[in-house]
Amino acid sequence: MTDLITTINLAAVYGLIGVGISLTWGGLGFLNLAHGVTFAASLYGAWWAQENISDHASVIFLGGIVVGAFAGAVVWLSVFLPLDGKKNWDMRSIIASLGLAIIGVNTFLLVFGPQRKAIEYLFGTSKFKIGGSTITADKSGAIISASVVMLLVVLALVKSRIGLGVRALTQNPEGAALVGIGRRQAAFAILTVSGILAGFAAVLLSQIFYPEPNIGYLPLLKGLIVALLGGLGSIPGAVVAALLVGATEAVTAHYLDQSWILLTQFALIAVVLLVRPRGVAGILEVTRA
Amino acid sequence: MTTVLEVRGLSAGYGPLRVLHEIDLAVGEGERVGLVGLNGHGKTTLLRSIMGLVDWRQGEVELDGASILKTPTHRLARAGVVMIPQGDALFPGLSVQDNLDSGAFATGWRERKKRRDRVLELFPRLAERLDQAAGTLSGGERRMCSVGRGLMSNARIYLIDEPSLGLAPGVAAGLYATLRELDLEGGSLVLAEQNQTLLEGWIGRVARIHGGRIVSIETAEASPGGEAAADRERRAGT
Repeated sequence: MTDLITTINLAAVYGLIGVGISLTWGGLGFLNLAHGVTFAASLYGAWWAQENISDHASVIFLGGIVVGAFAGAVVWLSVFLPLDGKKNWDMRSIIASLGLAIIGVNTFLLVFGPQRKAIEYLFGTSKFKIGGSTITADKSGAIISASVVMLLVVLALVKSRIGLGVRALTQNPEGAALVGIGRRQAAFAILTVSGILAGFAAVLLSQIFYPEPNIGYLPLLKGLIVALLGGLGSIPGAVVAALLVGATEAVTAHYLDQSWILLTQFALIAVVLLVRPRGVAGILEVTRA
Repeated sequence: MTTVLEVRGLSAGYGPLRVLHEIDLAVGEGERVGLVGLNGHGKTTLLRSIMGLVDWRQGEVELDGASILKTPTHRLARAGVVMIPQGDALFPGLSVQDNLDSGAFATGWRERKKRRDRVLELFPRLAERLDQAAGTLSGGERRMCSVGRGLMSNARIYLIDEPSLGLAPGVAAGLYATLRELDLEGGSLVLAEQNQTLLEGWIGRVARIHGGRIVSIETAEASPGGEAAADRERRAGT
């Protein structure tokens, strides 16, 4: 039971990061390696808001989300705008975003120093029991709020005009241009929403991942695993993949050891991609993009 | 008749390959122009180069007298130049309804329901498949969906690239019967087609393209499209 809760908790948060990476990669052909720095920046934003404005949970969340969106916009401005449409866009955008990540990490080091910061418990420290296992308010709060946010993203993608534009872009870039969908506008939407999701995830994970300069790498890796496993650009794929990744992590930590987690997760990717090259989406979707 | 789209001395190609040689073509408001020629002689390249989808271009393309040579494809769509390409360019994983609605992305998003109903009236087969992924449709249905997506926009000019390609003759004839009766709401039409008989009786002018050059432009006699255009002109004159 504890494993199950941990699974869902991790899945909910990794899903938020993975969906951002997946949409950016699938929709724009852009593997955004600066997404981890967006995560870290959001953590610092949440911490800053806590220290300077108020330690109320809503303020901390807002701090993380606003900075996440801003960091997404910075990626759009500094990587997407100058390079999109140029030769070797896919390779150059990877390199540029990696560069941005390095600049980001060192800026954090310069401004905030190497020490970890602490963020308050957002949903209080109360605990309750279900079927003999203890669940903290923090975990259940994270699960519920992450699910709500994910639901909102899915709704926006399905119901809104720009959401349709983004989905169309992941399917056929030329067709998207022919119906008038602008890549720049869609990219801005994708990158800022990805930033917001990363910011939200960062705040939810702030009891495990503290604000420190290098903190973004592991969440980036998890997000990449979710995006790859789910099939690029597929939201349902990313959700299922996030559950798989969360389950692998919880079960590995329980039966083997924490240090085995990345190993089992990469083994999972290898197996799934060998059988289904398009990842989970290859099983879920009726047609191929 | 006011000229909507004008192509002057347009050459275009892919990489080192020159496909089009100094094409001149003007399309008037509400006019229907056929583009006839064999496969591989530049019909598709001409339509694609108007949309800015070729590697390089020389010459001039104007919409309402203003150059659109540097306008990106999605801006052209917003300005009302809508291409219905060969091979559909549909979004296979999205539902038929999403595919149709995407056609209203640039113009008329608010009236998409009204426009969708109109498209479904033209292609009732699509109405039964609204929730189905477009990638699961048959070839003929895909073409209907593609044409329908184009019609969702309120375009100034429609560029349709060989809608009959790859379809069984009966299916192609059905599609053409629909196109023939289509009310373009004052929009112009350029229709690329290999099979000229499909254009007879409803296309005002036929431009013949061969080896990347326009070799002749003929005005079809007593065609309904031509008559309607002449009629409009007469009315505008009085």
